[in-house]
Amino acid sequence: MKPVSQIVRSIDKPLLFAGIFIIAILVVGTAYTLIVDGTMTLLSPTYLILQLKVASFLGIVAAGMMIVVLMGHIDLSVPWTIAASAMLATAWGGPFAIPLGLGVGLAIGLFNGIGVAYLRVPSMIFTLGVNVMLRGFMVMLTGGFSPSSVPTPAMLALAKGDIFGIPNPVIVWVLVSLGIAFMLTRTPFGRYIYSIGNSEAAVYLSGINSRLVLVGSFALCSTLCALSGILIAGYSSKAFQAMGDPYLLPSIAAVVIGGTSILGGSGKYSGVVAGTILIVLLQSVLSVMQMPEAGRQIIYGVVIAAMLLAYGRGSRLRV
Amino acid sequence: MNEPESPSLLELRGVSKSYGGVAALSKVDFSTHKASIHAVLGENGAGKSTLIKIISGVIAPDEGTVLVDGKPASFDSPQAANAAGIVSVFQELSVLPDLSVADNISITRPPTRLGLIDHREQRRRAEELLARVGCEDVNPRARVRDLPLSRRQMVEIAKALGRDPKLLILDEATSALTAADVDRVYKILHRLRDEGMALLYISHRMHEIEELADTISVFRNGQFIRTFAKGACSDEEIVQMMIGRDVSNVYPPKPVRETPPEPELEVKSIGWTDRLFDISFKVGKGEIVGLGGLDGQGQREILLALFGVLRNVTGTIAIEGKEGLVSSPVAATRPSKSMALIPEDRKTEGLMLPMSIADNITLTALSWLSRRFVIDRTAENNAVEAMVEKLKIKVGSTNDPVATLSGGNQQKVVIAKWLLTGARILLLNDPTRGIDVGTKEEIYRLLRELADAGTSILLYSTDYDELIGCCDRVLILYGGRIVRTLEGDAITETNIVASSFNLPLDEAGAPAAETAS
Repeated sequence: MKPVSQIVRSIDKPLLFAGIFIIAILVVGTAYTLIVDGTMTLLSPTYLILQLKVASFLGIVAAGMMIVVLMGHIDLSVPWTIAASAMLATAWGGPFAIPLGLGVGLAIGLFNGIGVAYLRVPSMIFTLGVNVMLRGFMVMLTGGFSPSSVPTPAMLALAKGDIFGIPNPVIVWVLVSLGIAFMLTRTPFGRYIYSIGNSEAAVYLSGINSRLVLVGSFALCSTLCALSGILIAGYSSKAFQAMGDPYLLPSIAAVVIGGTSILGGSGKYSGVVAGTILIVLLQSVLSVMQMPEAGRQIIYGVVIAAMLLAYGRGSRLRV
Repeated sequence: MNEPESPSLLELRGVSKSYGGVAALSKVDFSTHKASIHAVLGENGAGKSTLIKIISGVIAPDEGTVLVDGKPASFDSPQAANAAGIVSVFQELSVLPDLSVADNISITRPPTRLGLIDHREQRRRAEELLARVGCEDVNPRARVRDLPLSRRQMVEIAKALGRDPKLLILDEATSALTAADVDRVYKILHRLRDEGMALLYISHRMHEIEELADTISVFRNGQFIRTFAKGACSDEEIVQMMIGRDVSNVYPPKPVRETPPEPELEVKSIGWTDRLFDISFKVGKGEIVGLGGLDGQGQREILLALFGVLRNVTGTIAIEGKEGLVSSPVAATRPSKSMALIPEDRKTEGLMLPMSIADNITLTALSWLSRRFVIDRTAENNAVEAMVEKLKIKVGSTNDPVATLSGGNQQKVVIAKWLLTGARILLLNDPTRGIDVGTKEEIYRLLRELADAGTSILLYSTDYDELIGCCDRVLILYGGRIVRTLEGDAITETNIVASSFNLPLDEAGAPAAETAS
């Protein structure tokens, strides 16, 4: 009896829904291409691998966002953390572009974490402020003169190369995912993250340095954003100001569609991966179907709302 | 069941309710009458809460009928029950902490003028209702968050009275109250009864029921056992009806000591803002020291100050001779201090309710249940199993959310969390609030076992019985100072009450030791 209930519990609803929806998107898209061109482009390995590659940028950001959301917080400084790390890496990095970019992300994350954990500013406000500050800094930096925004060969190789046909960004995403999933399920740090999301008071009164956990999580989130920024810069062959803008809301959506409670405390990492793929596929298939921009946004919004209606409510315990 | 002459205000016939196959109530016949105080007794899980929820329209029964004034009634919502004159004061406080007292009291039907809330009228109403519950000292403009728990509870009662109940249900409504408030509440309840109101009263404190109720009904395991008039059964009989077995000794015997034990924790002149002054005492190895007195006299602050939660504490403490204040809960739990705190509110401060029982138990011990930053699952499972067994926590699976447990078992999980760390100093903040008799007894026995094994225990309780039954010594606080230390046979209800009001003791029970304030 026990194994059955455990199997039922292990297939969680969000993952199932997202999986079904991903298949539905592919079926509808393929039906469209069959009727219009008589081809099945969407099911070709080239197309799917390309989608995974595009998804990896969002997926890495969403992994970081999930950690912060699990604690009942949010990081709204994502867009300019991505842009700032990529821009500084390309401008000043030289041979150390990648470590410099990651270091910028880490520094931003530590700053966010200290503001939230020690100064006790609500994360929504603090990270929003940090986002604007970063934008100011970057405009100041690039306003007078234009520093180099060309990625280093290492960045290009990381973003554009592949190993046995699998694009490097996808490999990076897989490694990040394995690391985060392991951390969340098997380490004390991961357990503390879930615990803080449920009751920070209980964690604090249990003699755990909850502030350190908060700072560490924000630092991890921003470092992952920086990693994504470096990959995006390499992929698009330059770092530019608005490069992070399309990642904030989709990353939050991926986390929430994946079944993580926006109030914190519960959610599985596998759901975030599914949520990321769902969003990227949806965007891509809608553009393949030559849906006008307005229609795309409406469908995109409706899908997110519908997924949440399907399982987002009542998933938390009544207490 | 004996039928009294007066007509039933409320009657339940053959009411049953199950949750997922588990019967919470089965075929219950129950009735209550005007102008009476009717106590409902039973352990947690006996079906009291389900009974109350059905009566107050929170849930619908699976079968059976509810009659009000002899007419069948079915409430599909608490509002419908309110309209019929049935109002509840729940154990879990339902006041909104960030609104003012006046706002809370009139939350459902605020007085209006021209469609806007009439604040002056609302305050006047609040003052009137607060006066009715004897709480003239509460400012209707005060935020509820700033009031101590006992005052909040009084606000809750005032709020209920504002709905003109015919039947007032009090579910553990006095569990947060101090002795002085309880007396006040008794007077109010007696007056309400004399005015013709019916009161259903649920409490775990036996002596309250003796003082208060006219009629007593006992439930056990979802079954109605018996209704009888007060005085018809002895305490022992009632307890036996409730738990279905004999409880001869609720409290384990206290050890007899020839010499005082060597001190584990020495508190030296602790002070904190204007709430604590010059607090000095010692807790010996294996000793249970109680903190008593009226609620809000600084007992909680002492525990929090010792555990490093409060900032700017003056004075110092010494643990095993090593001096130094604790700067944070992190420092308090280090092996050199080895303290543990069972907090006041287990639901928010003690537990992560949606998380599993296992996760909750091992939270504090994760660092040593891990090898190279990875949790050792075998070690973790073994630790959880050991604790569940040791504390007899009633669980289906340890992977179930802790929220699925009853209050008593939840509190056991909080205790288990600390036992796992092997804490030498245990600070407890009213650990048995809202817990059934059977579990309370287990907790008392556990505390004594821990003490016998060398743990030093500092216990704050709002229940005087508990202080008398459990503690080797009791420190009585008044206005943030220790006004008296009671020891041995001097720990009596009279002495505790007298000391709590800072009155001289009677001749019979002279104080064993007196601390200058």
